[in-house]
Amino acid sequence: MMPRKVAVAIVGGGYHGLSLAFNLADRGVRDILVLDAGYFQGGASGRNGALVRGGFSSVEWTRFFGHSLNLWIGLSRKLGHNVMFTRRGYAIVAETDRSAAMVERALKVHAAEGLRSVGLDRAGVRRVLPAIDADRVKAAIHFANGGTAPHHAAMKAYLAACRERGVTVRYGTQVTAIERTGGRASAVWAAGQRIDADAVAVAAGAHNPDVARLAGVELDGAGMRIEAIAVAPMRRTIDPGIALIDRATYLHQTGRGEIVGGCEIAGEKPRMSLASDMPVMAHTARHLATMFPSLGAARVLRQWAGQVHVSSDFGPLLGQHPDLRDLWLSAGWLYGVAGAPASGDLLAKAIVTGVIDDRMAPFAVDRRRRNRPIVEESTVNLEH
Amino acid sequence: MARLPHAAGARLAFLWEGRVVEARAGDTVAAALYAAGHRMLTRSRKFHRPRGLSGVFVADHLARVDGRPNVRLDDELVREGHDVRAQNVWPDLDRDLLRLARLIPRRWLRAGFEHTRLIPSGTPLFERWEAMLRFLAGVAERPPADQRIPAMAGRRIAADVVVVGGGPSGRRAAAEAAGQGASVVLVSRGTPPGAFARAGGAALPDLPESVTVLAEHEAFGLYRDGRLVGAAPRDGGAATAIDAGCVVLAVGRRSCPPLVPGADLPGVLDLHTALALAHDHGVAPGGAVAVIGTGDVEAVARRFAALSVGVGAVLETGRTTRILGNHAVAGIEADGRVLACDAVVHAGPWRTDPALGFQAATGGALRLIAQAGRGNVTVVGSAAEAPEPVVWGGHLDDAALVCPCMDVTVAEVRALAAAGEAHVEVIKRLTGCGMGACQGFPCWDQLGAALAALTGRAVDDRPTFRPPRGALTLAQAAGLAEVVGPEP
Repeated sequence: MMPRKVAVAIVGGGYHGLSLAFNLADRGVRDILVLDAGYFQGGASGRNGALVRGGFSSVEWTRFFGHSLNLWIGLSRKLGHNVMFTRRGYAIVAETDRSAAMVERALKVHAAEGLRSVGLDRAGVRRVLPAIDADRVKAAIHFANGGTAPHHAAMKAYLAACRERGVTVRYGTQVTAIERTGGRASAVWAAGQRIDADAVAVAAGAHNPDVARLAGVELDGAGMRIEAIAVAPMRRTIDPGIALIDRATYLHQTGRGEIVGGCEIAGEKPRMSLASDMPVMAHTARHLATMFPSLGAARVLRQWAGQVHVSSDFGPLLGQHPDLRDLWLSAGWLYGVAGAPASGDLLAKAIVTGVIDDRMAPFAVDRRRRNRPIVEESTVNLEH
Repeated sequence: MARLPHAAGARLAFLWEGRVVEARAGDTVAAALYAAGHRMLTRSRKFHRPRGLSGVFVADHLARVDGRPNVRLDDELVREGHDVRAQNVWPDLDRDLLRLARLIPRRWLRAGFEHTRLIPSGTPLFERWEAMLRFLAGVAERPPADQRIPAMAGRRIAADVVVVGGGPSGRRAAAEAAGQGASVVLVSRGTPPGAFARAGGAALPDLPESVTVLAEHEAFGLYRDGRLVGAAPRDGGAATAIDAGCVVLAVGRRSCPPLVPGADLPGVLDLHTALALAHDHGVAPGGAVAVIGTGDVEAVARRFAALSVGVGAVLETGRTTRILGNHAVAGIEADGRVLACDAVVHAGPWRTDPALGFQAATGGALRLIAQAGRGNVTVVGSAAEAPEPVVWGGHLDDAALVCPCMDVTVAEVRALAAAGEAHVEVIKRLTGCGMGACQGFPCWDQLGAALAALTGRAVDDRPTFRPPRGALTLAQAAGLAEVVGPEP
């Protein structure tokens, strides 16, 4: 049976929906309902690069994701389940003068914000990334505390922790309507039932714009496909997560030994699809084989696509919607794995106490409308 | 083990794990080792169970050849003086102490070692523990730093009709389309195409000269509703992207082993692999072979007899309750009786590998599912026939492996089913089932069959198939970047 009335109805049972539910429960909120139209780990939360880092080139991103990184480090204890977040490090690799200059600026931001990062010299590149073609590297940042979190462990931990705290989580249950009464979001409909809610939170990944439209409001950005490949498993070859900044490419080696990576390619139109195509596989392969020349003979085991909601400045959209009270958003996630613990923490704080944390405030949902975009240069995204 | 009378090829010798092995020119390393009685080629990634040439689950058996790591033994032709050594074992394949990993209680480790409760992240020991798990989960060696394999420039061609499969129905489809004036490309693993049919003694229709044949190529993907086909040669050469007017899938069917303990022991072979050994290499699958199957199993036994292979037992696959043996097949248990044998060849249940057809005809916003009428694909021949059910004799045994690569047992599926978990995608994520070399065929068929038996509900659902399943290397894929742009 579906509850008739809840304190918070959360649309989306991925990383951000579950993180919010957990943090609300942790703050003592009772009657939390999470509804997801798909299956557990079926969306971007089960189809991602698993990468976690705290440092970016902008102050805003570095403050938010630095906080999130600290939460990742303590997350297994907090949830009571092993999230398998491995601090194998994270490296941003620059191959051009332009990106090398960005690396220098980013290092200054990290130093000012107290985030642990170092610039790697040539010897450092060889030590941290022995398999990389060091001749191609102009500059690199290494985050010793960054790393990767496999979703099957981390998502499982979040779900178990939510259920242990009394959160109701329903997969295969689509929200078909969001009611608004007196200028606020007041109820959701699912499985043919109306569920009263004191607050509604939307964390539906690529489907965020559609879900927001159910409540009669618009969101910045659009849903789009992102593709990745996995290379057949091999013994430990690459330790850190890696962003090849000039190639719009990211990769890491999983605990199983697969090298998982993806890239964005110029000229690709944003489209919603879970079907994979040939070009991204080919370009990812080319970037991997170019930067890690010994991998040329390694085999492509599989390829797949996921979908994300991309905002106009590639940053998350966090907070209450300016046009509808009690409609909260954790949307626009491209670095969603890295940001999930902080989004849940800070959004729960805002919902429960009304206080918008300084680290969250710059990511306000209406920043495009107010012409306050955040310029972040260290992500691996292309303008489309 | 004796070679069959028709075995041809000059005799030569090579080293396996430091011991001299006799072979014939034209043998793959795997066939030569099988002929010499070395059934175990590798050990499984996690619990280091013996694994051998099987035709099922494992797409590759990797070993070190003359110092080159990660060479596929089922592809590599043996040469005089080759020095072949097993990988992922210590100190050697027979004594392999890494199999002590089996002593780690299974409740601590799941899904290829990625789930563990023992040492949570954030604790001081976690990174070291994880490094050990990564080591244990290794299969291929790290490629040597001085091995630099450049991108292999890809090529792009177009055809009115692309036929995948060089057996009788693929050849007929190609000939028919060519006869109507269509340009036809035929992609086949075999050289010349139709190896399985030929080994089985079947006649092969001729291919018209106008058909472009990509022999020893694997069709690795059907993209854009089947209008873009990828094919890669097995020798590592240039991959080809084919713009296709339409696609004909004539991929035939593969036999699925019984879901019983011992089904992945070295010496359990599917019919394709056993016939290739006997016919192409003149190697008997065993001295006393048990042939199991569905349908006319006697006909299969007669074909082996015609190839001078000694068949000791013939029975239905569904009566098999267990395959016995320690490092290789020693017997088969059926109907409560044990029959001694040194190899088991399964010829059914027959099922079509669904990966390519699935990829070409799927859509959906929340989940990729096959959509009727979608995809530019016609399935012909036996591939179009309904799949036969996965079978086992007696009760469903907890020790049977649903997914040998990830060591997912029936017991693990049973525990999840008892906890109310019935979604195949979720079970895949919780167990790692289907994440190995076969990428789901046939292990997701086995998962579905086990789940149906355990829950009493029909399960005709499978997780998403995701080619290319190792059919091309990064160097081959890289070459396609120059020839295929984003979809308009």
